Amino acid sequence: MTVTASAPARVSSSANAARPVRRRRRMTPRRALDVTLKTLVIGLLLAVTVLPLIWLLLGSLKTQTEWLNNPSWALPENFLNFENYATAWVDGDIGRYILNSALATFPSLALIVVLGVAAGFALEVLVWRGRGGVLLLFLAGIMVPGQMILLPLFSAYFQTHLTGTIWPLILTYTATGLPLTVFMMATYFRAVPREIFEAAAIDGASIYRSFWSIGFPMVQNAVFTVALVQFFFIWNDLLIALTFTSVGDYQTIQVGLLNFTGQFGAVQYGPTFAAIAINVVGILALYLFLNQRVMRGLTAGSVKG
Amino acid sequence: MTTARIARLRRSLVPMVALAGAGVMALTGCSAGGSEGSGTGGATEFTYLSLTENTAVADTLTSLSTGACKAANDALPLKISNQPQASFDQQLQLLAGQDALPTIFAAGNTPQLAKDLNSAGQLLDIGATFQELGVSNDLLPAATSTISNLYGANIALPTEFNVEGIWYNKQILEQNGITPPTTWAELTAAAAKLEAAGVQPFSASGEQGWPLTRLVGNYLFRTIGPDALQKVADGSAKLTDPEYVAAAAAVADLGSKGYFGEGVGSIDYDTSLNTFTTGKAAMLYMGSWALSAFNADTNQIGADNIGFVAFPSVAGGSGSADQLAANVGVPIMASKKGYNEKVGAWLTCIADNYGAASLGDQGVLSGFTVNDTAVEVPPLTADLQTTIDSSGDSVLWFEALFNAQATTTSQTNAAQLVTGAITPEKFMELVQADLGS
Amino acid sequence: MNNVFGNKRAVLVFVGPALLVYSAVMLVPVLWSLGYTFFTGSVITGFKFAGFDNFTKLLSDPKAGDALLFTLKYAVILTVGQVLVGYALSLLYVFWLRKASSLVRTLVFFPIVLPTVAVSLLFQKMFEVAPQNGIVNEFLNLFGIASVDWFGSADTAFLVLVIMDIWRSMGFYAVLLYAGLLDIPEEVMESARLDGAGGLTLIRRIVIPLSLPVLLSSIIFSINGTLKVFDSVLALTNGGPGSSTTPLTLLMFRTAFSYGDYGYGSTIALALTLICLLVTIFIFRSSRRDLTKA
Repeated sequence: MTVTASAPARVSSSANAARPVRRRRRMTPRRALDVTLKTLVIGLLLAVTVLPLIWLLLGSLKTQTEWLNNPSWALPENFLNFENYATAWVDGDIGRYILNSALATFPSLALIVVLGVAAGFALEVLVWRGRGGVLLLFLAGIMVPGQMILLPLFSAYFQTHLTGTIWPLILTYTATGLPLTVFMMATYFRAVPREIFEAAAIDGASIYRSFWSIGFPMVQNAVFTVALVQFFFIWNDLLIALTFTSVGDYQTIQVGLLNFTGQFGAVQYGPTFAAIAINVVGILALYLFLNQRVMRGLTAGSVKG
Repeated sequence: MTTARIARLRRSLVPMVALAGAGVMALTGCSAGGSEGSGTGGATEFTYLSLTENTAVADTLTSLSTGACKAANDALPLKISNQPQASFDQQLQLLAGQDALPTIFAAGNTPQLAKDLNSAGQLLDIGATFQELGVSNDLLPAATSTISNLYGANIALPTEFNVEGIWYNKQILEQNGITPPTTWAELTAAAAKLEAAGVQPFSASGEQGWPLTRLVGNYLFRTIGPDALQKVADGSAKLTDPEYVAAAAAVADLGSKGYFGEGVGSIDYDTSLNTFTTGKAAMLYMGSWALSAFNADTNQIGADNIGFVAFPSVAGGSGSADQLAANVGVPIMASKKGYNEKVGAWLTCIADNYGAASLGDQGVLSGFTVNDTAVEVPPLTADLQTTIDSSGDSVLWFEALFNAQATTTSQTNAAQLVTGAITPEKFMELVQADLGS
Repeated sequence: MNNVFGNKRAVLVFVGPALLVYSAVMLVPVLWSLGYTFFTGSVITGFKFAGFDNFTKLLSDPKAGDALLFTLKYAVILTVGQVLVGYALSLLYVFWLRKASSLVRTLVFFPIVLPTVAVSLLFQKMFEVAPQNGIVNEFLNLFGIASVDWFGSADTAFLVLVIMDIWRSMGFYAVLLYAGLLDIPEEVMESARLDGAGGLTLIRRIVIPLSLPVLLSSIIFSINGTLKVFDSVLALTNGGPGSSTTPLTLLMFRTAFSYGDYGYGSTIALALTLICLLVTIFIFRSSRRDLTKA
């Protein structure tokens, strides 16, 4: 079916250029079916993805009474009810939580990328004894459940007086992000032909120079991909943020979202969704801005052996 | 492992040093914390670790700090930090492990944690301290006895004092010719009548679980007596004994007849309350903390249309309906290590003023006496205060004396009990199994 | 030249910092926690040496058994689901949509960006039965099927969980696999087409073998993530009804931090780590291709 699907695409592009429009209308039944099916599948796919987002935005405009008494898919009674946003922003202090998240996320990302790319380079391009072992050591980190490191880390941060600062978050995120990053970067570097580095070495470039001016640029798109994947992990993390942020004022957005919940299980749905919407729209803006690079990145350097 | 050893060492050191004289206290203060600052010993800030979900205590303390307790606050400034309920117990454990509990903090989700902290010598004895400060009279005896029943010692500030029972919609009951039920037989008869008339008899949150297990607990207190669950805790009775299973069966029976409405397992707290305050259910088992919701404008049936009746008695049982179920919400505890004179000043001020501030600003009944007669109280709240004053002993709730594991098992399986997914025997078996370990 | 690539100082400069941070913040705490597997107790009550008690307890604990079964069931079903749906989508991008797929890719990718708390609230509301029917039950009612209490029984709650997590991650895997498909040289495909390899044959003979490495990476990535599922279960079902959707991670978290038995909690975590390791090795072996070259 894939062949029949792609072949007409070529026909239609040539038809576009050379033949009158009338001719295109006279589709064979088979092709008509094909187009219908295509539209249907894509329409369904988009509906499944986009409708929940719209629901989320609509939910942020509803009052608590509407949430409890109207069906969950009902439209808001007042489309201009931005009270929830005011509540989320002023009482819920969402701005501060987003700032905290940014303060924890971006330094961690920078560290993950710099340390991870360098380590991946050393593990794949350089030749030294024990590199297989070190790579395996990093790989093991992908398998350890995050819950396991919480208690020892809490003690360690406390004894070193880091508790109450942003450092526990940055350090923990960096360390938990490294295994996957190192592993992925090593596979990316493997895809770079070795001759390139060898030629540079013959030309007299030092290893630092060939890393900086050849290695790094060659995996640039991949770096971008890895950074993106890690960004979502860190930004959406709840476990680590909950454990290391009660003392001090560095609670992140995911912790902040819990602020609209009451002691006996009450939830303020409107402000919660407004806070989520603020969070999501922010990420969406960032994402659309960076999207082209991301997709190119994912496409250029695939995770393959 | 090392920190554990150090912590244990430190714990055994503290009492010895304390014996050597008050002057040495400063030394332990320095050596133990480091982050606590130096010089005076104990706290340098009045730190309060709050449950994110409970804003009432934090708000009341904040308003006290600029009002009645300004002097105490100037000497020792209040500093509030938050931790959500989901990770609160974990946080308390981690802080306690570092011997770094905040000056005051919300008790964890399970009484067991507080008992552990107390037996590790980390908690301030509130009873003795209040005696020393001369403010014991500010505590309501009912609240003190609830705390002692719960923790086995007076180690908590009763920032909330709740009684629980069945709230009913006066109008619906009248329309169906039902008087507020005082016996279990009357209650089931009323429910049958309402169900036949097309009215949902009870609203309850199975997602939370506790509103259902509360019924099992109360039934036990009415049939076996106020010591029903103490016996289980002591090991002289088991939840799998027939008279205990009977309580689970009685509640399961309400469920199998459909009295809780559809999908009770996914009904959350708000929905259960809302079903009642929009007149879609006739009765709701709930604690007096719900008063603020009943007195709010979202209540469509009107506060004067709501009545309160204690959990009914069961024929032939040794408990009685005037033993009200009571709790202290999530009370506040104080760190022993953090205590000093300035903390004492704060506690004195809280004892004298908290009752009035909490009732006046938040509409929350606390276990402190209300020392300001000018506080205005809504009629429904005043009615309840009268009920509390005239009631006899109080009883706790089903999971009060359970460990954390049994508590989780009980509350997560409650919905299955009333939907019939598990039998009453199986339910009690599951909970009893976790009590063992 | 070997001097350049075998420069010891360069190795230290490149791999040293990463290894240092990783060891200090992950390896040491993990080993530290492993030490606790021989102890019972918590930081409050103090630790007591327990020998191998935790391990014997683990083998006879019905809760751990149930949690293990659930974890494996979830991991296998979800890995298969994620990778299959992702692969189907990526084939769709490559063969159907071709150059026009950018917008679709972006939109389908987006759910992974949403906070777990938000996604679970969304699914709770969509599948709710009371006080109002959610959209799913309304849809069933249209066809005369009675409403289902989705979160009331273990099987249906599991189903909702699986649907939610596949919905969340399919776009991510689609893009990951799409990248691998694009690397198949166009000439290979073209010659296959000319040889008359049509449709499914093309996919089976050419596309799947050539995208095997990236498929394998995706499977390993997916299985290691799904074996450690935590957030989505906690937010959607909280392990319920009863404890029927409780994975090992949640059991570990509760045991260690709510039930105050850190030693036993660590033992559960160790078991989980070993399972991840075994599964990964098994996948490597069965594919007869060692991606790490180690």
